[in-house]
Amino acid sequence: MKNINYIGEHLLIGNIGHAFIVLSLVAALVSVVSYYFYSKEQLTSDWKKIANYSFTIHSISVIGIAATLFFMLFNHYYEYSYVWQHSNNEMPLEYIMSCFWEGQEGSFLLWSFWNVVLGNILRKTIDAKWEAPTMAIFALVQVFLASMLLGIYFGDYKLGSNPFILLRENPQFADMPFVQMENYLEKLDGRGLNPLLMNYWMTIHPPTLFLGFSSTLIPFVYAIAGLWKRDFTTWQKPALTWTFFSIMILGTGILMGGAWAYEALSFGGFWAWDPVENSSLVPWLVMVGAGHVMIINKNKGGSLFMTHLLAIASFLLVLYSTFLTRSGILGKNSVHAFTDLGMQGQLVIYVLTFILICVILLIHDKLIRISYIIVSLLMLFFGITFGHKVALLLGWMLISLVLTIYSYMKFFPKEEEEESLYSREFWMFVGSLVFLLSALVITYFTSIPVMNKLFQGWLYESEKAGIKVADYNMWQTPFAIIALLLVAITQYFKYKKTDPKQFLKHITLSGILAVVFGASAVIPLYFLKDYSSSSTTEKWNLISYALLFISALFAVFCNLGYWMRILKGNVRHAGASIAHIGFALILLGALVSTSKKQTISQNTSQKNVASLGDNFSAKKSLVLTKGDTLPMGNYLVTYTGKERKGIDVFFHMDYFKKDKDGKLVKAFHLSPMVQDNPRMGQASNPDTKHFIGSDIYTHITYADLSDNKEVKADAYKEPTNFVGHMRDTIFADNAIILIDSITTNLTEEQYSQNDSLLVVTAVLKATDINGNIYRAAPKYILKNNMVLPDEFELNELGLKFIFWKINPNEGSIEIQMSEKVNNTKEFVVLEAYMFPFINVLWLGCLVMIIGTIIAIIERRRVNKLKAQ
Amino acid sequence: MKKIHILGIVVIAVAIGVIFTSLQSSSTYSDFAEAAANPDTEYHVVGKLNKTVPVQYDPKINADECSFMMFDNKGIEKRVVLHKSVPQDFQKSEQIVLIGKMQGDEFHANEILMKCPSKYNDGKPQV
Repeated sequence: MKNINYIGEHLLIGNIGHAFIVLSLVAALVSVVSYYFYSKEQLTSDWKKIANYSFTIHSISVIGIAATLFFMLFNHYYEYSYVWQHSNNEMPLEYIMSCFWEGQEGSFLLWSFWNVVLGNILRKTIDAKWEAPTMAIFALVQVFLASMLLGIYFGDYKLGSNPFILLRENPQFADMPFVQMENYLEKLDGRGLNPLLMNYWMTIHPPTLFLGFSSTLIPFVYAIAGLWKRDFTTWQKPALTWTFFSIMILGTGILMGGAWAYEALSFGGFWAWDPVENSSLVPWLVMVGAGHVMIINKNKGGSLFMTHLLAIASFLLVLYSTFLTRSGILGKNSVHAFTDLGMQGQLVIYVLTFILICVILLIHDKLIRISYIIVSLLMLFFGITFGHKVALLLGWMLISLVLTIYSYMKFFPKEEEEESLYSREFWMFVGSLVFLLSALVITYFTSIPVMNKLFQGWLYESEKAGIKVADYNMWQTPFAIIALLLVAITQYFKYKKTDPKQFLKHITLSGILAVVFGASAVIPLYFLKDYSSSSTTEKWNLISYALLFISALFAVFCNLGYWMRILKGNVRHAGASIAHIGFALILLGALVSTSKKQTISQNTSQKNVASLGDNFSAKKSLVLTKGDTLPMGNYLVTYTGKERKGIDVFFHMDYFKKDKDGKLVKAFHLSPMVQDNPRMGQASNPDTKHFIGSDIYTHITYADLSDNKEVKADAYKEPTNFVGHMRDTIFADNAIILIDSITTNLTEEQYSQNDSLLVVTAVLKATDINGNIYRAAPKYILKNNMVLPDEFELNELGLKFIFWKINPNEGSIEIQMSEKVNNTKEFVVLEAYMFPFINVLWLGCLVMIIGTIIAIIERRRVNKLKAQ
Repeated sequence: MKKIHILGIVVIAVAIGVIFTSLQSSSTYSDFAEAAANPDTEYHVVGKLNKTVPVQYDPKINADECSFMMFDNKGIEKRVVLHKSVPQDFQKSEQIVLIGKMQGDEFHANEILMKCPSKYNDGKPQV
């Protein structure tokens, strides 16, 4: 192969990037080793120094990798595959950040970056006793993340995926002609960002979510360090603040995702139980459980196993969800999972490694510990060489589970006395368990593709499909109800023992208020109209909605009561109550806006498909022709035209309301948009009018995006031929035409005598949309056995007819009809929904975040006071 | 028996309940032949759009119905009636998953999932 001197490539910067990647990996490895030895011998300051330096070097390298990639994107260095794949010349500056984390490599880098930020804060603020063990685990996670960017081949096996490979070295494009061209860079433009992601949410949602993912790491490293040093309690106090920080940030990230889906993507809602959404919700649920058992531990002691289990599980579930979304295993089940980069094996190994470490640390018997390690390694070796991976994996999981239970029974400290039924700790524990269970159910449902991989053809034959949204809702509603009831009452219990009478006295008023207000809202919402006509499952759903509604109100009233009456309105101490109110409002808003979501666009088609089942009866598409005004919910809507701005095509809709005199008054204007990206296809962006009480959401499902300015509106289109009999109808775009009668100037007898001129007139009756009737009379003229062309123009309707043939044998006639171009009015097909009280959901989000922040600030203040 | 044991039993009961119901109720990926054998059961059929036959969609008659030909994974071709508007970029789809039932010789779907490679990693460097 000849050497080509490519023109205009910037190779130095790529080499710098590579160097940073290798350096970050090596430094993280050194860090792990040195923190490990530092943790063994607290006095040896040499290890401490090495550990500190290496982690600093690692941090600088990670920032260096990020800076390098950003620099490349900013300067459009398309010689690099990642830059070419994710950006282009038209890209506005604010989306350069989005390009950064659109790809897998970039998002791993973002994750690693946040870890470095948090890791440095952690090691500067942490108690000296916990620094070495926590940071050793922390650095180990960084080793794994750094290796994700490595992109080195071991034989056929590729470890990681490198963001700095050159476009011409990307195996995907190896046989493309540009690889042989010296000057390929001169005209090359990047592929650009997915149009769905060209959105300001894409600039704020991923960084927040990944900060959330990173934040789960800190409780995890504390818990592992606790197992390792067999000190199960002292780590919990410093970790508690981090846990609630994680709950706050991860929660914000998830809700931003929901808001994005609602505002900018055409999901038709804020939550679709998509595997990708679930896999961020699950760690959050577990983290909330962890936070609450840690509070029990802090105030009263105990719940040791549960704190470790949940703090560890949350991060492991982040890893597992990384595996789900990045390995391509969700392929058929999720619209927005990443495509496979061949890192499936690597991701599985990482998840398993951390489970292995946890179990090893849990076992307090040297012999069992060593045997477990040896067996695990043997199984890994056997799996790689001989296969049977599924059986080995399941076997290993079983061994690990048995050892975990055994170690818990044998080595783990347990409380002697049982918690009282009238104690706060008991109900908080139950609450955490409910969160964990809810998370496990979601994980199980989301993992169906994984189970297909493991069990299909063994436990069952045909591949199982994903769980439906309705099933998710059905399963999660009871958990939500129990969680809300616990959120309502638990604060009124005291630790250890509570006077039952006092407790009942406290919650009675809130209970009565919740039932009274709840019933008066729920009965008209769910029982007056819908209930009697619905099926049995539907009835159960409605009952569960009602219960959820009342429990949410109960939770709001109870926590408001606790804040006002017991805390006397003090804000500083009310973090928990406020956050709980927010949580209840989120569920309330989600419930009402989803269960009472109304399709206001109505399909007027007469076709009935209800016989196919419930799922088929939803008619929600409305055809709106330019200039027409159609009723939609409480409004009348007019489509006024489209407008193209670059690749975005906006469709303008005016919404009218009738005033008292029945006159139409314009209420508001919406411009849903369809992006027409030449390289990536179309993407529909909804537009939503926000009111305090409800939202009106409109999105285009079908439209003609082309601008037909070049065609003259007055010209006639190609004619179409109709073969018909008397009383048949012909459909034009703007009228229905009936063949009313046919008359001739001659009788059959006269014609058979071969008279020279025959005139047959077809009398056509055209009825337009407004019911006006027009007549047309095209003539069939036969002279000396020749058909003379004759056109009949119906100017009022812009139609032209030629009656050109008679088929006497069939008794039919043939008519050609031409329509004017502007008869075919432009139209769009749209779906529109009304979401009632969705603002309660967003308000709840805000309140919950604020409450959590107040609680974190208060906890830090108290910790500081105690330290003095 | 301690309360914690009761909680444990509840947890296990819920776990078994979940596994059992999901195994019972979740539908499976299948093909036209199996769907035709059980016309009352809902199936997920995976396949490819036959791009040589035009997709029929006339919003003026029914905006919530379109119809097209699809090959399932066994290569059997059937007409599909999708009770929705035509999905965007339908012609570019690489793989489609339909959820619905077989009615006579037509498959009636109420839900469609598409894989469009174009949105994610299609496109080659053009100079």
